[in-house]
Amino acid sequence: MNDTGFTEFSTITVLLLLAAFYGGTYLLTLLIRKDKEDTSGFMVAGHHVGFGMGAASMTATWIWAASFYAAATSGYTYGVSGPIHYGLWGALMILFIYPFGRRFRKLAPNGHTLGELIHARHGASSQLILAGSNILGSVISLMVNFTAAGALVSVLSPLSFETGVIVAGVGVLAYTLTSGFRASVFTDFAQLVALMAVAIIIIPAVLFSAGGTEVMVDGLSLMTNEQASLFSVDAIMNQGAPFFVAVLAYAIGNQTISQRLFAVREKHIKSTFVTATIGYGAIVIGLGMIGLMALSVGMEPIDGNMNNLIPQMVSTYLSPVFVALFFILVIGSLSSTADSDLSALSTIMMADVYGKNIAKNNPNPKVMMLVGRITMIVATVAGLVFASFSLDILVMLVFVGALWGAIVFPVIVSCYWDRVTNAAFTWSVVVAMALFCIARFELLEMTGFTVLAFEALASIGGAVVIGMMVFGFLGRTAGLVAGALTLVVMLIFATGFLRDYMVLVASLTAYGASAVVCTAMTLTSNERFDFDLIKKRVGDYDDAGIEDDATMIPEGAK
Amino acid sequence: MTNELVYGTYILIWPAITFVVLGVICWAVARDVRRARKSDEDLI
Repeated sequence: MNDTGFTEFSTITVLLLLAAFYGGTYLLTLLIRKDKEDTSGFMVAGHHVGFGMGAASMTATWIWAASFYAAATSGYTYGVSGPIHYGLWGALMILFIYPFGRRFRKLAPNGHTLGELIHARHGASSQLILAGSNILGSVISLMVNFTAAGALVSVLSPLSFETGVIVAGVGVLAYTLTSGFRASVFTDFAQLVALMAVAIIIIPAVLFSAGGTEVMVDGLSLMTNEQASLFSVDAIMNQGAPFFVAVLAYAIGNQTISQRLFAVREKHIKSTFVTATIGYGAIVIGLGMIGLMALSVGMEPIDGNMNNLIPQMVSTYLSPVFVALFFILVIGSLSSTADSDLSALSTIMMADVYGKNIAKNNPNPKVMMLVGRITMIVATVAGLVFASFSLDILVMLVFVGALWGAIVFPVIVSCYWDRVTNAAFTWSVVVAMALFCIARFELLEMTGFTVLAFEALASIGGAVVIGMMVFGFLGRTAGLVAGALTLVVMLIFATGFLRDYMVLVASLTAYGASAVVCTAMTLTSNERFDFDLIKKRVGDYDDAGIEDDATMIPEGAK
Repeated sequence: MTNELVYGTYILIWPAITFVVLGVICWAVARDVRRARKSDEDLI
């Protein structure tokens, strides 16, 4: 143990652990390396990833380093229900996207990104809004994961924060650069097996080493009534509800998910995403229980930093071998997400930026591969630089989250309603972002009619969220009924109440405003889009002889 | 005793579910490997 209370490894031990992890992962990728990679394999593994690999990859990608820390923080802060209000909604992000994913695949069977589909449907401006939000999200994710590696290495060894950041960045880039998405998926499986095995061992080990269930039950007396309740309103409003609102936004806005929707064999989309939902939920909620155990035994996080909770519990109650396993668990989770972010970024640059906007649908596959690999290198350097600056990413996250919320309705509706136009898509996002900023930063005085208007928009946003979720699984009529019922209930109960939770109001406003503007502008349109055109416009870049550029621009974008 | 059982189950059910999912994923990958070998295709 060092003077801060953590188990500290020697420099050699940590370097050996890192070398074993990244060296082993790199060697694994040699098994699937091809002399000549094609763009389809590099971006979506040729669209034929199987159920097992797909489920493992989706689970590993969605679990990032922050998942453990945030779930444990939620357990420590909100008590018994805390881990569920973090892990459940995160898991549902995977579940609720798959019905829409099947629609995306039906419309664009040869697609690589959601942006390509939107480009084929609307044109460049809508596509670039989506691609831009995807890029921002992946860069932030990269930075967070590299930061987590630096923090972990500096806490558990004499090595510096910067050393941890650089080793993680170089390690991930090394095994992803050559084979791209194929390497990401293949290594995700190995990383997930290690991650799950460690989680299965560590959770009961901490429980019994900390005194078993008797001590935990006694610990309930240390909690407030809210913390001891499985139905804590505090946990629902402050942790669960904001996450619930983000369920569809995170899934639509994240290229790592849509990439897997385009990569998994079409018949396996459902089984893959349902399995990943259960796997993600079980791992993250389980590790969140360590935060609940910390609360039950009355542990105080070192320096008041909640991120110290899990390493502190593992260091306090378990032997250094378990701490080493925990180290591998975190490095595995952050690396699997970081390699997926690199693959996502390279695919967006290859397909959305180079393929659709620079090469104008007539790309050179060799140049395309070069664009992908250069993107990976630039993104890694950017992630390392941003991580080393220890930037405050909260404001960026707020904007990206809102942007994702604003695009949910236009993206989904564009895939089903033939009257939606490029202008309706673009303006709905612009107006939603403007109204979001007003609500989030309270740029207007939030009293009287103003706050009531935002509560009404937020109620529409709530109706959109519920309506979309139901629509995905049960169809249009059920979705409309669920949305209408939600709107009525929210208008009755939420007006006058939601204003106490302005962060939530702002998020829901993004959904509501974009839905209102998009619907209103669409209803004034006489356009009818032929969805079969998407299949023709989104093709495989390895094939020569793509259609002439002029025929690729949708009517609404001309 | 009942409280301990309920609370213990609440904490330990998650690693148990993780174990089951791990089994399902490993089984599915093994099946994918067999199919790929049989049809002489790449696994990924």
